[in-house]
Amino acid sequence: MSQTQVSPSTTRDALAGLIPVSIITGFLGSGKTTLLNRLLKRPEMNRVAVIVNELGEIGIDNDLVEVSSEQMMLLNNGCLCCVLRGDLQETLRDLFIKRRNGEIIDFDRVVIETTGLADPAPVMQTLITDSLLLEQYRLDCVVTLVDAVNAPGQLVQFTEPVKQVALADRLVVTKSDLVTEQQLSALTSRLREINPKAPVKVALNGEVELSFLVDVGLRRADARLEEVERWLGAGEEEDEHGHTHRHDQTVQTFVLRFDRPLAWEAFTQCLEVLTALRGPDLLRVKGLVNVAGKAGPMVVQGVQHLFHPPLELAAWPSTDRTTRLVFITRGIARETVADLFKAIGAVTAGQPV
Amino acid sequence: MAVEGSLRPGGQAAQLALNMKLIAHNELAGFGGVGEGINMQKTKDGRRILWLAHESAPKNFTGVDVTDPRNPKMIVQTDLPHADVRSNSLDVVGDIMAVAYQTKKWGLKPAGFDLFDVSKPEQPKLISHFDASGPHSRGAHCVFFVDGEYVHLTSGAADFEPTNPKDDQFYRIIDVRNPSKPTEVGRWWYPGTRKGDSAPPPPRHPKFDGGYRPHNTNVYPKKPNRAYVAYIDGGAWILDIGDKSKPKPVGHLQYSPPYNGFTHTVLPLIERGYLVISDECVKDNGEDWPKLTWVVDARVESNLVPVATLPLPPAESFIKRGGRYGSHNMHENQPGPCSFRSETLIFATFFNGGVRAFDLTNAFQPKEVGYFVPGAPKLAPKGSAQINDVWVDENRLVYAVDRFGGGLYTLETSF
Repeated sequence: MSQTQVSPSTTRDALAGLIPVSIITGFLGSGKTTLLNRLLKRPEMNRVAVIVNELGEIGIDNDLVEVSSEQMMLLNNGCLCCVLRGDLQETLRDLFIKRRNGEIIDFDRVVIETTGLADPAPVMQTLITDSLLLEQYRLDCVVTLVDAVNAPGQLVQFTEPVKQVALADRLVVTKSDLVTEQQLSALTSRLREINPKAPVKVALNGEVELSFLVDVGLRRADARLEEVERWLGAGEEEDEHGHTHRHDQTVQTFVLRFDRPLAWEAFTQCLEVLTALRGPDLLRVKGLVNVAGKAGPMVVQGVQHLFHPPLELAAWPSTDRTTRLVFITRGIARETVADLFKAIGAVTAGQPV
Repeated sequence: MAVEGSLRPGGQAAQLALNMKLIAHNELAGFGGVGEGINMQKTKDGRRILWLAHESAPKNFTGVDVTDPRNPKMIVQTDLPHADVRSNSLDVVGDIMAVAYQTKKWGLKPAGFDLFDVSKPEQPKLISHFDASGPHSRGAHCVFFVDGEYVHLTSGAADFEPTNPKDDQFYRIIDVRNPSKPTEVGRWWYPGTRKGDSAPPPPRHPKFDGGYRPHNTNVYPKKPNRAYVAYIDGGAWILDIGDKSKPKPVGHLQYSPPYNGFTHTVLPLIERGYLVISDECVKDNGEDWPKLTWVVDARVESNLVPVATLPLPPAESFIKRGGRYGSHNMHENQPGPCSFRSETLIFATFFNGGVRAFDLTNAFQPKEVGYFVPGAPKLAPKGSAQINDVWVDENRLVYAVDRFGGGLYTLETSF
């Protein structure tokens, strides 16, 4: 047995065994097709199913195609490329059924290309809330492509690109060869303002390795500290007064911490009030919650008004048992959320949180 | 839409896997046909020996050292005395192994079971033979031996004449506390199956007459006064064996017809009060589909209520692979130092559907959480793997065996 394996329990780990899904998003012309074309050919794409908008657009040479049908093609590196059919739920369910029936390869990872205009939030919401998909898949990573030439303008003109950047776990800057170093560094600073937690990679000629696009989400209930930190994102922490040093005017990223265990009812009530009042502006929430009476932390993740069903980890990954919640919001200040938690915590639990 | 049957390498009978990874494969020296007896011995010198009963002659049983699970080493393989007998079933407690013998026809020998001393696993030493031969007996199909004291046996007997030739075996309790002198202490048969019974013979299954005789007869030290007996076309029985000389039925579930009979194993989830009951698929090419595995609420033993079946992939997809497709054996939560025990995770075999794992945390909605279907073994007579039985160790390594030539597959799980 491998060294990393911990002794298996007599029950199932609710996270391990789910097929991870990465979402690749980016504004029109941001180079998704080029990136996918390069990515699809890489040897590490073996046993990866990629859902694209159109097979033709990807431009894969015929001699790389092992077999193909109207909707799918199997490349000779073991990568399965298939077309988004109907809606995403239907496509993902159909893929899993075909996998189980032995009609397609045993893929163990999915990469989804969103359309250029797409808001990634609904795709993420599908993955965290669809009860059938939740049985088989987990949201692993959101990757946003940012075109170095057009992004600076787009980020000013349109709200969608800002949201795409804010929701990302990973940012990939494309077409960097067409701008000066100064322009590039201005763009990356701007990206850090919008999303201080997502690592940024500059892709040359659309080349990016699979490893940058995967393994962000929690993979098992006995997650180690570095896995939790990778999921929550390191990046900038606020100082002791709760202020980050740089702000974006529209998007706020902040972390709330609570030392004492929370009552689960009080916590969910806070989230309910928050989503009812400001759902659309609650771009993304993720974190670990120390719930009174639970051995391990509860994993919470939400996209706008929808939340993944809560999961309990087997144990705290370190001695630090503080509740930590990362919020990425559109115009909701840290104080607003902190005050709400204080107020509701006080009302329901009878004690300040 | 185009047919996408070929969007995987290796074609129709290729390997399929979800959350189970093959870490070793052993074809057992060319005799890779294994029956439904698997158990693991922990030897006094710390080795782990997996014992396997073969499906049919010429081989009797095989011992495989799996101390290093990635490198299984066959250490012994024995022969049967003739081709008209099969062992099929075995169990090991400490250093004592019981091996069943069933003949093809009535009156042949050896019919019954052997007890072996396997303290030196390379050289199993016969302790005694329990003779169950007779003019109407084929001997024993199945042993369940986990407490070191009693062998729970599916067998005929010299003094048992069935009302129908297919009903020639019944449940026998054999005291082996003195292993050199096994002695019957109790028996039970389906009323009407023995000549002279006051009850009329039971009705035959209208489509597939599989017979009224037990298959598995499971008794657990955790609940020593209960025997969980799968009675083929006679459904599932719970017997009170508080008095071993007088087993008494306390629960019965019959769902065939309309289903297709052949109740095979009754696995109790003792803490939770459920039974997991498997049927056996006994026909090729889907002829007796559906052969299911049932989740049954047994909190009130006298009122057994099926609440779910284990979710299986569609028959249309698997029937095409060839041979049998449907339920059969399960890992049976055996006591013992090397056995996996769970009240929620079930591992079961489905012939060409491979070995599959299910989470029964919600008994009303069991979930499939992993599977492994080997590619067709070399010279596979049915053109596909026919996974027959499974045993899971305390590290949750899965040992699955093929009915014909595939031998032993060792798998790691990731759920």
